[in-house]
Amino acid sequence: MSTHDQESRDQASYVASCPECDVDLRTETPNEIVAFYRRHYRVTGHEVQIEHAQPEIDTDVTGDGLKDVVGQLQDQYENGVPFGVVAAVMSERGQSIGETLDEIHEVRMTGSLYEPQDDHLGAF
Amino acid sequence: MTRWDDSRTQNVSDDITDDTNALPAKYFTEEEIFEMEKDKVFGQYWIYAGHANTISEPGQFFTRTIGDRQLIIVRGEDGEVKAFDNVCAHRGSKMVEDTPMTDPGEGSRIQCPYHLWTYDLDGKLRSTPKSFEEASLNPDLEDEEVQEFDCETNGLNDVHVDTIGPLIFVNLSDDPLSLAEQAGVMKDRLEALPLEEYEHATRIVSEVECNWKVFASNYSECDHCQANHQDWIEGIALDESELEVNDYHWVLHYTHEADVDDELRIHDEQEAQFHYLWPNFTVNMYGTADGYGTYIIDPIDTDRFQLIADYYFQDGELSEEEQEFVRTSRQLQEEDFELVERQWEGYKTGALAQAQLGPNEHTVHRFHQLAQEAYDS
Repeated sequence: MSTHDQESRDQASYVASCPECDVDLRTETPNEIVAFYRRHYRVTGHEVQIEHAQPEIDTDVTGDGLKDVVGQLQDQYENGVPFGVVAAVMSERGQSIGETLDEIHEVRMTGSLYEPQDDHLGAF
Repeated sequence: MTRWDDSRTQNVSDDITDDTNALPAKYFTEEEIFEMEKDKVFGQYWIYAGHANTISEPGQFFTRTIGDRQLIIVRGEDGEVKAFDNVCAHRGSKMVEDTPMTDPGEGSRIQCPYHLWTYDLDGKLRSTPKSFEEASLNPDLEDEEVQEFDCETNGLNDVHVDTIGPLIFVNLSDDPLSLAEQAGVMKDRLEALPLEEYEHATRIVSEVECNWKVFASNYSECDHCQANHQDWIEGIALDESELEVNDYHWVLHYTHEADVDDELRIHDEQEAQFHYLWPNFTVNMYGTADGYGTYIIDPIDTDRFQLIADYYFQDGELSEEEQEFVRTSRQLQEEDFELVERQWEGYKTGALAQAQLGPNEHTVHRFHQLAQEAYDS
């Protein structure tokens, strides 16, 4: 929320914002930025951007494509990579949250990605 | 007497001079209250859906989520606005994607993507694919035995719709009170103004960490203004202002200290007028801009709500002055967000079981009474 101070902004692992509304969300839960995007997009059509993300991952993600990214990350998570982590990594490659979610849907429909649990991804 | 102990709380008093004049804190903080509100508040009263100017042509539509219900608000071929559950009559699939009022969709029919049942804009079933007319995959059934789907009885689920000028409201109840009764004098007053001549200019949506009723209560009083809205209060003569309470609607009349150019407001009175319509809608006549705004205070869950702020001006493109005006409005919002999130931090501790309201918080008293009536119904 935009009411928090700079200190809490710096401490949050994930910060997403809508520049058009000048509002942001800080959270420790990666999928909360996806939920924020969906809630915000539903009533505005605005693209929410990831401003800052520090996913807890032990490896350098070198892949560029969505499927490679999920493939590299999935060993780090017991039951799928949270959409929010994937969106954070893809945002470093210039993709918005909306674009990443659209691509996740597209690739899922080819059978190359699946959801072992809601809003978490595994690569096949 | 302050009630710190939950066992000493009472329902909201009828008399504002009683010390039980506020809604007990549990109605703000307990999860099951939010679930109850979906039915007893948002399922019973007229709820603002959106602005008619954004769907001016037949076939234009937007979606609106109220509680657990997802609705399609559509302009019919006859020019009337209609609302339906966004749920197919066949097997209950969600049909159209979420579509905000600010970016409406358009189509000559409503079609479910699952099995392609197709509906006219008045909700009647228009057609089903051939697989629903022939039993070619079912060896136990002859084609002539296949039931014919009646277009009337297999239509979309209608939701009540009514309007105040260009403002579209929906009611999820089977047998609602009328919008005229709920809105009272607000309906007549707003319909006397040329609201339909103004275009949607911008929408700003914020998420705030507090129960929706905390923000609604804060909006409804101005005892906090002197200390917390110092820039805005400069031009307001608070001691000449008045907070008017009606059955389901209250108006904050904020008198301007100096005369304001008549062209900078759309109502006659030299004041800002903030209308609150139970349960979660406001119309903001600022008195210093040739335009108006609306707020929807939509709960996300017990602890959060979305403030959907829309601004309407003569032209859909914001001028520099109008942009500055919206910025000022945003400043007020941010100041209020600080206050309500701070109150929420205190409320969430559970230390205070029932607040107390002052004599000039009679609007909040009415709001709390309506909530209590709804919960007890």
